[in-house]
Amino acid sequence: MNWNCCWTKEQIEPGECPNIHENEDEFRTLPARRIVEKCFYCDRFRDDLRTMAEGDQPLARFVPLLVEGLREQKNQIAAMAGSLDSRNQEISFLHELAEVLQTTMNLDEVLSVAMTAITAGKGFGMNRAFLLLTDKCQHNLGIGPRNLQEAWQTWEEIAHHNYSLTEMASQFFNTKLRTEKAKFHDIITRLGALLLEEGHILCRVLNGHRPLMVDDRIRAAEGDNGLSELLEVDSYLIMPLVCRNRAVGVIVADNYVTHKTITRQDLESLETFGYTVAFAIERASLYDQLQEKIERLVDANEQLLEQQEQIVRMEKLALVGEITSSIAHSIRNPLVTIGGFARSLLKKKADDDPLREHLQSLVTAAQQLDDVLNEVMTSSDSLYPTRDQWDVNLLVYRVNEDLTDRLVQRGITVRLDLPQNLPMAFIDFRQITFCVKTIIINLLDSLPDGSEVTVATRLIPQGILLEASATPVPSGHTVSGLGIMVCRNLLEKQDIPFTITTTEQEISFRITVPIERRE
Amino acid sequence: MARLLVIDDEANIRLLYAQELGDDGYEVVSAATVKEALQRLDEQPFDLVILDIKLKSESGLDLLQQIVRERHNLPVILCSAFSCYKDDFSAWLADGYVVKSSNIEDLKAEISKVLGKKSQRG
Repeated sequence: MNWNCCWTKEQIEPGECPNIHENEDEFRTLPARRIVEKCFYCDRFRDDLRTMAEGDQPLARFVPLLVEGLREQKNQIAAMAGSLDSRNQEISFLHELAEVLQTTMNLDEVLSVAMTAITAGKGFGMNRAFLLLTDKCQHNLGIGPRNLQEAWQTWEEIAHHNYSLTEMASQFFNTKLRTEKAKFHDIITRLGALLLEEGHILCRVLNGHRPLMVDDRIRAAEGDNGLSELLEVDSYLIMPLVCRNRAVGVIVADNYVTHKTITRQDLESLETFGYTVAFAIERASLYDQLQEKIERLVDANEQLLEQQEQIVRMEKLALVGEITSSIAHSIRNPLVTIGGFARSLLKKKADDDPLREHLQSLVTAAQQLDDVLNEVMTSSDSLYPTRDQWDVNLLVYRVNEDLTDRLVQRGITVRLDLPQNLPMAFIDFRQITFCVKTIIINLLDSLPDGSEVTVATRLIPQGILLEASATPVPSGHTVSGLGIMVCRNLLEKQDIPFTITTTEQEISFRITVPIERRE
Repeated sequence: MARLLVIDDEANIRLLYAQELGDDGYEVVSAATVKEALQRLDEQPFDLVILDIKLKSESGLDLLQQIVRERHNLPVILCSAFSCYKDDFSAWLADGYVVKSSNIEDLKAEISKVLGKKSQRG
């Protein structure tokens, strides 16, 4: 039988088989490999198979079927290898992405990496992407070209430099972040608002935690609230960013310039990417919050140290004042006696009395000493600052501490409702402490054992409201006592509003201390 | 004529005030301690009390509180060598505050002022 193909030969000459190329000489001497890899795809071989099938051999008609089956399997293997290769590239890219994301805690840097990854050819190769965050909308971001010319310019530049993902992300963060934000300001602002609209497709995807590829079919079935008009594309995808079952934002991506079809595989790849990015965003946000809290703690610690230093300084000054005052007192009484009697005697002496001159000297000397004493007293008083910036909550804590024994003895609980971050009050710490203490003591005296007193502070437009209240109040209770009278006088002198409200259910004392410096 | 009670632990000061205020026409009664002062207050009515703050180991401010509580119509002028008590909460209960001086004209002026107010109140 005459065969067209070379499969019967152990060795063939160069050019004898049209399917063997110049650099494939090994196929000429290896018939088994030549048959499997070359002959199966050769038209001459097919002709030979057909001839063989028409022959007398009973098995000959099955050979073409076997060959066809083998070819099909080879095609499947090739397709699977291609898919595997693509997956390998994807895993490799995700690995690189995860590594890059781990190098930073800065939210804008994380977002830059994420957006670069979506749009880079080496990454997911989308033309354009928008990232919207649920909590930090000021970080919302867009990336990509706004027209074909810009697209080509960017892609040529990337191709020319052959940037890695890290380099592209770093370049974006350092030079393009602000301009891209400005470039897409209109779309980002609109998308940010739509994300908050209940029932909007963006909101639905965000809350549903499942990505969505929007094309003509979806638009016809569900509608997309005009998002395709806003983006000026027929198809796009919406990717929720979910971390620990919480949606932190969404990514909207499209092929605005190339109009390349977005495939199911694109969507699946981006879904895996979305988890990594969401985790990085959440981690960066938490890191930001942690930094803020640390800064607040450091500030609070500094303030505490300053106040402690101030207290020590004041205690020292108070001691100086006390010593000065004690010395002044020891001198003052004899001086009053000497000067007072000298004046008294002088008044009674006749104008020509020779003693008058001596008495006048005594009066003058006593007056001089009086003046010196007054100066000393004034300066020692002024060493002790009366009003300053104070933490009202700290004041309440101190009063509560001072009264602990008394409270325990009576079985009375003081509930403190003191919000953090109150501004400093401009007060005389001693006097306001006295007032708060007096008020609480007044409440204690009127309440039965085991009652509860609430002390709360609040920032109000007029300053800081300091309120002490108790409920229920024993019937017939009236607010009285010297202490409250003194408080009222004291606060009135400083123009600090002080009100007492008594009802059948409750008694409440309210002091509004200023936060602005008042002279 | 107004009757004044001077409460001071210094004998010379009591003597000086008695003489000077007596010359101005006031009837002056003196006391050196809190106990003595309360006795005098029980014995006869007064128009005004001049009270020192430091009475040896006793406190004039405590006595002030007692007077305000029991005789709230009786005006009290605190007369002390200390100026710092002006800021003391308890001192706010007094009708006047004078720092002791070799020249007692300030005290005399304060007495006139407080008595004038009292007579206005009736």
